[in-house]
Amino acid sequence: MPSHSPETGLGPGWTEKVLPTRLECIRDPEREVVSRLRDLGYDEDHRFAVRLALEEALVNAMKHGNRMDPARRVVLAYRLSPERVEIRVRDEGAGFDPGVVPDPTRDENLQRPCGRGIMLMRSYMDEVSFVCSGQEVQMVKHRKP
Amino acid sequence: MKINTRNAAGCHVVEIEGSADINASTALREALLGGIESGATKIICDLGRTTFICSDALGVLITAYLKARGRGGFVRLADPQEHLRDVLKTTRLDHLFEIFTDVKCAAAKP
Repeated sequence: MPSHSPETGLGPGWTEKVLPTRLECIRDPEREVVSRLRDLGYDEDHRFAVRLALEEALVNAMKHGNRMDPARRVVLAYRLSPERVEIRVRDEGAGFDPGVVPDPTRDENLQRPCGRGIMLMRSYMDEVSFVCSGQEVQMVKHRKP
Repeated sequence: MKINTRNAAGCHVVEIEGSADINASTALREALLGGIESGATKIICDLGRTTFICSDALGVLITAYLKARGRGGFVRLADPQEHLRDVLKTTRLDHLFEIFTDVKCAAAKP
């Protein structure tokens, strides 16, 4: 077993999955992460929050990053411990500036049917950062008693 | 996700059972927007057994809300459980949608 993940170069403890750009491919890794969180004793609130953030990150990567191009891939890496959840999602798109995404909670944006993914990630995870010109999102959630 | 539809006091009730995730959005869109296209304008989404909702599914609810309102009707939400209530509050969509404790209350309001 390699000590580093081949795509991300992350060290031991990280699980890496390379997903084709197909929305149905989100389901299995999502279930796996939630199942492992259950095994680690995370409560339902934590599991809901992580699932929501993970789903939003993967959907954004496929839809907005890879623009549903089946030739492009999404790389998911995660490290789960009893203390914290770390997730990274990288696409093969052109990247974006998260600073210019409109705030969907403003009154004038409430009726917009899209644009809530990043806000939900930020709301339900403790740390969210975009690197590589927005091609990769890195998220952390700490376990709270 | 499973979708059950029924009528209650003249309203078209769409019960969303299970996980309203990205892979369920198409079915949700068909149920809600299809209902409106078929003439229903008073829509109640029964969320009592909805365990998860993603931003895409929220977008479907908003699209249905706008379409129903454009035809003089409404989309009301009934009985969202704790996690869904939190998502609606976090997104401030609790300021857009009327939210009721149950379908009966949602249908009773004029």
